[in-house]
Amino acid sequence: MWVNMGPQHPMTHGLWNLRVKIDGELIVDVDPEVGYLHRGIEKISEDRHYNEIITLMDRCCYVAGIAWEHVYIGAAENALHITAPERAQWLRVMCDELQRLASHIMWYAAFVQDLGLMSPFLYGMRDRDLILDLFQSFTGGRLTYEYNRVGGVRNDVPSGFTDRCRKVMDWLMDRFVEYDRLCLGSEIFRRRCDGLGVLKAKECVDLGVTGPMLRSAGVARDLRKDRPYAVYDRVEFDVAKADAADVTARYLVRMEEMRQSVRIVRQTLDWLDHHPGPVLADHLPRWLGAPYAPMGNEGYLLKRNFPRGTGFAAVEEPHGEAQAYVVNTGGEHPYRTKFRSPVFVNLSAAKHYMIGYRVADIPPIMGSVDICVGEVDR
Amino acid sequence: MSNVTLFDVANGLATLLLTGLGSILPQPLHGWLINPNLIFALAATLFGAILLGASMINTIMLIWFERKMLGRFMDRRGAMHVGYAGLLQNFADGLKLFRKHTLRPREADSLGFYAGPTAYMVTSVLIFGILPISTGWSSGVLPLSLLLALAIFSFAPLFIFISAWSSNNKYSLLGGMRSAAQMIAYEVPILLAVVAVILVSGSFDLTTIVNLQQNYWFWGPLFLALLVFVVGMLAEMERIPFDLPEAEAELVEGWNTEYGGMLFAFFMLADYVRALVGSILVVLLFLGGWTLPSYVPSALTSFPLAGIFWFMLKTYIVFGVFVWIRASLPRVRTDQLLKVGWMRMIPLSLLSVVLAAMLVLVRCLPVFGCVPGLGG
Repeated sequence: MWVNMGPQHPMTHGLWNLRVKIDGELIVDVDPEVGYLHRGIEKISEDRHYNEIITLMDRCCYVAGIAWEHVYIGAAENALHITAPERAQWLRVMCDELQRLASHIMWYAAFVQDLGLMSPFLYGMRDRDLILDLFQSFTGGRLTYEYNRVGGVRNDVPSGFTDRCRKVMDWLMDRFVEYDRLCLGSEIFRRRCDGLGVLKAKECVDLGVTGPMLRSAGVARDLRKDRPYAVYDRVEFDVAKADAADVTARYLVRMEEMRQSVRIVRQTLDWLDHHPGPVLADHLPRWLGAPYAPMGNEGYLLKRNFPRGTGFAAVEEPHGEAQAYVVNTGGEHPYRTKFRSPVFVNLSAAKHYMIGYRVADIPPIMGSVDICVGEVDR
Repeated sequence: MSNVTLFDVANGLATLLLTGLGSILPQPLHGWLINPNLIFALAATLFGAILLGASMINTIMLIWFERKMLGRFMDRRGAMHVGYAGLLQNFADGLKLFRKHTLRPREADSLGFYAGPTAYMVTSVLIFGILPISTGWSSGVLPLSLLLALAIFSFAPLFIFISAWSSNNKYSLLGGMRSAAQMIAYEVPILLAVVAVILVSGSFDLTTIVNLQQNYWFWGPLFLALLVFVVGMLAEMERIPFDLPEAEAELVEGWNTEYGGMLFAFFMLADYVRALVGSILVVLLFLGGWTLPSYVPSALTSFPLAGIFWFMLKTYIVFGVFVWIRASLPRVRTDQLLKVGWMRMIPLSLLSVVLAAMLVLVRCLPVFGCVPGLGG
């Protein structure tokens, strides 16, 4: 019997359809169908100014907006041959890690809710709100930030921000202990999740699966370490890794990643405290329309004189490796953009980690993949 | 106070009403109205209406209690806006559901679709007619009231399966199958746990069982039976961690996916009625019902309606434990649930029966004292 789990179904956490062929309670075949949320972001990008595309990136993934901004900004800056000032790079790293925390907490809340745990869902939402408050204090947004700019970031953090952020980090570290106690301390949780949705290291690599799913299979692949961007080579952190390749392992990896994110955020806060400076590059071309860029003649570059080229960037987004490619043929708009979504790949591999389990296992397995349909369909 | 029963109240009301009405009417009608059979019929109807009203109000307050308590567990406040501290929120929700149009899918079987929820609701509320709430609040002496209550309680899987099957929806069917399998699997340990109580008390009558427990609550000596009974009741009520028939993550809403409006309200209410019945049964069988031990100062047991007060307090505490479990545990899987049911619960309940039989033989235990009613 084929059962449609989606597009309107509580398991999907978004708008997609998982077709499942079941024999009693056993899963015989699965067929993920995506595309319900396709907005044509790559096509729309072709008639937008470079800075206007940032708005689209926020809508790309609704729980990791600023990480996607970073993906695009990295590629766009490469294509336009612009370098952001050092302080902006540190701010971007801090934003990335705060976003990773927010995204993983959101994942935790949704995942335990799928298992029937109601209270941790609200604990997760409560704690995520603190991070959104932090974002609001310096970007003005809670979900769509529009904070990055080609050549830096829009504005600096306000005074007193670093202390407030440190307090939130301390609070979160205490809460993580609680999270673990509620989940790992529960016999039912272990029975539900151990040995579930196994995807071994070789299959992960063959299928192009990245992010926490890959690391839970014992492969310590993390772009922040392997191919450092921004200032990730100047902060200390460990790559979270587990070996079981099942749902519990993915849980452990994400929890450890959150702890490492807190570690990175603390280091960036220390750096930001001691190194004031500009957050947006000087001499930006006026047609980039950066609101705080110097608008005098010294910053003016004619379009036709502007260097052309292509830019590529890869960022370890909360869900996995996100990549962007931007082609600049001169002009205010990119000629073409292309984005690689990690969740799209992780989702496409569903056949390899779902068949043979039970209907009741679908929500925890799919939850452990951490799906964000916005970036799957783009 | 204690020798006036609820039925006496209903009877008095019926007599007053009919004689009052009869005295102002001319002779042929007067003679027809003031008639013991008619008075009895009206009294029985009034009795039922009072019971229904009381059980419904209690059920709705139970939902409020759960919402507030869950709210506290989850670091929020729960319902706050309608009435004081949200007391009237559930009445408002109920009214909204009443006003809604009830939709039936075209492919659904009309008879089963409507009869299922109705029968589920009716059988759930019916149990209230049997359960004694305090000395005055009972429908009289039924020698087999415990057995009758459990028999009506176990009708549910049949009606759930009928409504699930007739909805003609894949999720409903899966949920209905899960529900039937689960309820039948946990019916057996529950009955065996009750056998332990019956062995010790020597009676099927709930009032007798409660009266025996005046100074000897059964939860201590029959702890294993209590444990089996509570876990089994959790499964029968379909609450977390055993709510997989309506596991919303994978089955949308399980067997009541296709129901909306009033029919959904029927299911919802009946679920809470069953939760209330489950808590009441725990209190009656193991926690001494409306009685308090005789060393408690008499001021605590002699005020009007004291029996009902203590009974409801105990019931709500038991239900509070169920809410606590709901707030802190994830859901188990069907095969795990059935495995626990058949391979752990049944041996445990058999063991509890053996322990109860040994207790009857020994009669006195060091800490708990002697079993009353056995002459020991």
